[in-house]
Amino acid sequence: MASSLARRRSLRLISAAVLVLIVGAIVVVAFIAAPGPTKGVAAAGPTVSVSTDTCGSGWSGHDAGQQSFTLQNTTVAGVETYLQDPVSRATYLDVEGLGTTASVDVNLVLNAGDYQFVCLPADADPVLGPVFSLGPDHEGRTLFANATPGIVPVTRNDMIPIAKQYGAWITAQLPALLVDTQLLQSDIVAGNLTAARSDWLTAHLAYEQLGAAYGAFGDLDSAINGMPASGSTALTDPGLTGFHRIEALLYSTAAATDITGPTGQLVASVSDLQTAFASARIDPLDVGLRAHEILENALQFELSGRTDANSGTELATVSANLTGTNAALAPLRPLLATRYPPAALADTDAALSAAETLVTSYRHADGTWTPLSALSQTERERINSAIGNAVELLAPVAAICDIRRES
Amino acid sequence: MKHTDGSAHVGRRGFLHGLVGAGLAVPLTVGAGLGTSTALADTGSSPNQDAPTYPFEGEHQQGILTPSQKHASFVAFDVTATTRSELQSLFTVLTDRTRFLTAGGTPVDPGLTAPPTDSGVLGPDVPAENLTITLSVGSSLFDDRFGLAGLKPARLRVMDDFANDALDRAVCDGDLLLHLCADNEDTLIHALRDLMKKTRGSMQVRWRSDGFTSPSRPTGTPRNLLGFKDGTANPPVGDTPSMAGLVWTQGGVGDEPAWVTGGSYHVVRLIRMLVEFWDRVSLHEQENMIGRRRATGAPLTGTAEFDVPAYDLDPTGDVIQLDAHIRLANPRTAAAANQQMLRRPYNYNSGLDSNGNLNMGLIFSCFNQDLDRQFVAVQKRLADEPLVDYISPFGGGYFFALPGVTGATDYFGRALLA
Repeated sequence: MASSLARRRSLRLISAAVLVLIVGAIVVVAFIAAPGPTKGVAAAGPTVSVSTDTCGSGWSGHDAGQQSFTLQNTTVAGVETYLQDPVSRATYLDVEGLGTTASVDVNLVLNAGDYQFVCLPADADPVLGPVFSLGPDHEGRTLFANATPGIVPVTRNDMIPIAKQYGAWITAQLPALLVDTQLLQSDIVAGNLTAARSDWLTAHLAYEQLGAAYGAFGDLDSAINGMPASGSTALTDPGLTGFHRIEALLYSTAAATDITGPTGQLVASVSDLQTAFASARIDPLDVGLRAHEILENALQFELSGRTDANSGTELATVSANLTGTNAALAPLRPLLATRYPPAALADTDAALSAAETLVTSYRHADGTWTPLSALSQTERERINSAIGNAVELLAPVAAICDIRRES
Repeated sequence: MKHTDGSAHVGRRGFLHGLVGAGLAVPLTVGAGLGTSTALADTGSSPNQDAPTYPFEGEHQQGILTPSQKHASFVAFDVTATTRSELQSLFTVLTDRTRFLTAGGTPVDPGLTAPPTDSGVLGPDVPAENLTITLSVGSSLFDDRFGLAGLKPARLRVMDDFANDALDRAVCDGDLLLHLCADNEDTLIHALRDLMKKTRGSMQVRWRSDGFTSPSRPTGTPRNLLGFKDGTANPPVGDTPSMAGLVWTQGGVGDEPAWVTGGSYHVVRLIRMLVEFWDRVSLHEQENMIGRRRATGAPLTGTAEFDVPAYDLDPTGDVIQLDAHIRLANPRTAAAANQQMLRRPYNYNSGLDSNGNLNMGLIFSCFNQDLDRQFVAVQKRLADEPLVDYISPFGGGYFFALPGVTGATDYFGRALLA
């Protein structure tokens, strides 16, 4: 789980240019839209100039409903373009990274109202275009069921305090994590493998609920929660350290003395983490992404059984991941309140709660969990369905919290 | 969201007229094998802009009498929704998505608020092509979860374990079956991803199998992977009385609940073909097991594919063995006439067995008015036929294809759930 998240994050950070291109492509695809029956992409209407001098020229609002135009960048550098409500700044269109001389066809559906293009050159202040009005169409309609929704873009300034709040929550969890790993270490030193298995789970879950912070933990995450190299297992990979290495040993014929080394290393790594995290910060972009990526990883690695090193505690991990998802979601709620329809947010909470209830129904009174491998096909389907439903509902959270420029 | 341009699609009725006009030279009494006929033009790999689209609404669902498209996905689901109202919502969503996907159109644009609503696999606008989506229900849907026990189609049950079966129950049965057909595989994948994305919390895939139909080689009914034409003796889909007597189930008849009218028992059998073994068998033995010439598809008593097997002239099986596949399946007796089923088979091709043999075979798929009178009666007659050494049924299920959706406010299963 950890390695994958870390990899995805590093790609994002290493190549900001690539990120912009990817996001831009998604935005463009999303905006090729037209109402009602159409065959093939609707022909583009007027060409709208995207530049600092003539931002938005070429488009004059007329009827509400389907709008088709071609955005053309007439400047000598890349430009981002918004189409906004001039008062509320609700944004209906965001074409990122349109290169010099490049053009893109846009189709979208707009309700009656006032609109304004905003051109955002890469290294200059935003330029506001003229305000246009869309009136009732020839059938007198002003509202359209398939109209493109508009939201006020989330900016870096919006996200910085959220990232800090989330970072503070993680910081507050780390002392307990350290205590949990020290307890595991003392079990091993005392030769009490039964207590060690129980305390390993407690410590592992304490770590798994921090899911959102994997990227921020860097290499320490690999040391604490890494997976074996391909072609080997957690038991056979000599380079593996951390929870899964210890898990493999605890659920094998290994003696306690074989495990003292790895547990000592784990305590040291968690201690290093606590020190390192004090001076680290959560990337503001990450909180929204984590809100759905923690469960994406649970689906990919836990509910496939891929991370298990014989403890059969996949569902316990999923439960901790659900806790972590709620922790990532919590500081985002004020932003989401005006951007994610209340019914959808309520559905999301209901989905997370239902998934938690279902998953924890496999925890027994003695603290042990039913292994994934012991579940019937129907039971697996129900869990996959519950988590799958939750990630579908969480995906818009990441899209909404994608950081955009202030206009 | 539907195409309204009448010239852009050919309805089933129009298609059948065209077929008659094309003079597919088969007497209706013999059966044209329309389900797997060559009636559809070969569209190659280019976008299939000129393929007929099949209107979603109608007394019966599409994908049953519809001429077989080149590709099919058989995807069985278990319902994870837990209440009857959630089940009804699921069926409404499936109706809405099927209506959109089979008509084509432009996906809703979510703006900055969400990832794209559509996968984009078919480009920015979704073409209808000739996609059909057929929804069937399995017997487990009628357990105690949704209060539907009293409404189960009278013959619907967990698939029988026949004499020569080697069933893996993990790839058998299911609460629902979605049967997707189109001429291009990307159309199927697009539709399946859309349907699953919109229903993630209400149903989960239990098993799936993808299949294809081969082109005519060189003429006539497409061949299966044993090299033989498969589907020659199908009843004629253009003959409404035949379909009324063989395909469509009638409510109130034979203890059937009223809601089933217009639906059909859908049997799917995943049948592995041991093709390496088969390819080491002499042609003579192969043809005797089937009862037809491999090259032409003609019955051994005849000359051309659609010649009727002359069992009356061959009462002791000197020409077509008494245990030949076609003779057991359809002895052409008066008593067997109403045992005919409408077959709509697809070949499958799926990787390797652990011994290095190719895993391929047949997705046997057929529609029946009466499961027991037709498919089950015939399957029992086929027990221990010589062919069983070369095939191994391992999955599938009995399902009931719901009646068609008849209007804008109708939805799948309304008569069942209302």
